[in-house]
Amino acid sequence: MTLSYGAEPVLEGASIAVGEGQFVSLVGPSGSGKSSLLRAVIGLQKPSAGTVEAEVARSQIGILFQDDALLPWKTARDNVALGLSFRGVEWAPARAQADVWLARLGLAGFGDRFPRHLSGGQRKRVALAQVLAMQPKLLLMDEPFASLDAIVRARIIQDVAALVERERISVLLVTHDLEEAISLSDHIYLLSQGPRARLTRDYPVPIARPRDPVRARLHPAFAPLYEKLWNDLSREVDRRAEAAE
Amino acid sequence: MMMLDPRWAWLRQLATFAILLLLWEEAGRAGLLNPLYAPTPSQIGAALVDLFADGRIWTHLEATFAAALGGLALGILVGIVLGVIAAIVPAFAELVAPVMTLLNAVPRVILAPLFVIWLGIGLASKVALSFILVAVLIFFTVFSGIRQVDRKLVERIITLGGNRWSLVRHVYLPSVAAWILGSLKIAVGFAFTGACVGEFVAATRGLGYLLSFAQSTYNAALMFALIFLILLVVLAIFAVAGQLEKYLLRWN
Repeated sequence: MTLSYGAEPVLEGASIAVGEGQFVSLVGPSGSGKSSLLRAVIGLQKPSAGTVEAEVARSQIGILFQDDALLPWKTARDNVALGLSFRGVEWAPARAQADVWLARLGLAGFGDRFPRHLSGGQRKRVALAQVLAMQPKLLLMDEPFASLDAIVRARIIQDVAALVERERISVLLVTHDLEEAISLSDHIYLLSQGPRARLTRDYPVPIARPRDPVRARLHPAFAPLYEKLWNDLSREVDRRAEAAE
Repeated sequence: MMMLDPRWAWLRQLATFAILLLLWEEAGRAGLLNPLYAPTPSQIGAALVDLFADGRIWTHLEATFAAALGGLALGILVGIVLGVIAAIVPAFAELVAPVMTLLNAVPRVILAPLFVIWLGIGLASKVALSFILVAVLIFFTVFSGIRQVDRKLVERIITLGGNRWSLVRHVYLPSVAAWILGSLKIAVGFAFTGACVGEFVAATRGLGYLLSFAQSTYNAALMFALIFLILLVVLAIFAVAGQLEKYLLRWN
């Protein structure tokens, strides 16, 4: 797959495999086309060359952006039920399912609140419930937790890890947080600096799943992998700096 | 500095207003004010009571309300329709937007005499003036609003599997409704401005007509009473519009 906005491709020749139930992260400097790649997979952007081949139908792919993008005029419950209603589920059962998903994300009793009256972390949980209620086979996440503060973020990441484990959802996460990538993933791809970014390397994460993403940081394999990724990523950024000089 | 408890602001405002009225009244009674220009509050009150006493005021209130509400409804309707079409059809926007910009730039009440010539001194010319004031406002609200719809919400609906109709129903309509409600108070003010100015120019009924009558007879007390009455009417409608806005925009 190749993605471009102008004459020069942002991202070239990307090929990523996400196995069933696998958690894969995509790490790379800004401008390497990480987000564009996710947008191409979900169909919001067309690749200028190549195709997106997925074994799951588009309706079985869910995406979570950095912005929660909830409809401000709908309650948390109706925001979650909305996607189900698009599938032809009647509003009453859709709302009942929405309540179940809100409860799973720790928001039981918050169904009547409007997004405006929820905290950032709670809104993120509603957005997650909205995507998970659609029971996707593949979940795409574009730096979904970047705007949250550390503790809220760690708690949500724990819940997401547990839920994707339970539902056996495959995940493709885009992030520039190496710790987040290692603590969650089975596999990490590193993208080079754009334009003409490429997938340079991939790293298996030798920490068994299911795992608690917070405690995964204490695993003996964590630090060596972090260092390796950090060095490789730094080199990518340096190469860019040299090219600019 | 003394701390002001914001909860009692209304009381301080009321007290100040009462004191000013009292001073005004006393100044008038002491002969410091010419009653031809500045009648006392009690004289204005008497004029106001007079207006209602013989019941003739109702036909004037009715005329003004009919013109203002008719113009408001028509203006909102046409403003929405033109705004939506302009937002969807660029060729239409190209034609209409400059006209609207021009209409927006000039004080639209200058059209009042024209409407009287075209539509006569009856209700129609007042509705027309009210309408043109409101329609231009609503047109811009809707037109610019639709073009500023949050892209992220649109993408969210698409990625959840929504179609075009879902976008209209769940993103565009609520957005447009929110903007219109946001400018509803201004629209109400415009509608009454249109009605009163229209009546002032040429009419046989209405609060604006009574004002022009008070002016031609040099009846300052009646004039003050009418201004006060129009103020009350608009404030009452503001309160209704405010409640409507508060309910419909409770998510905000």
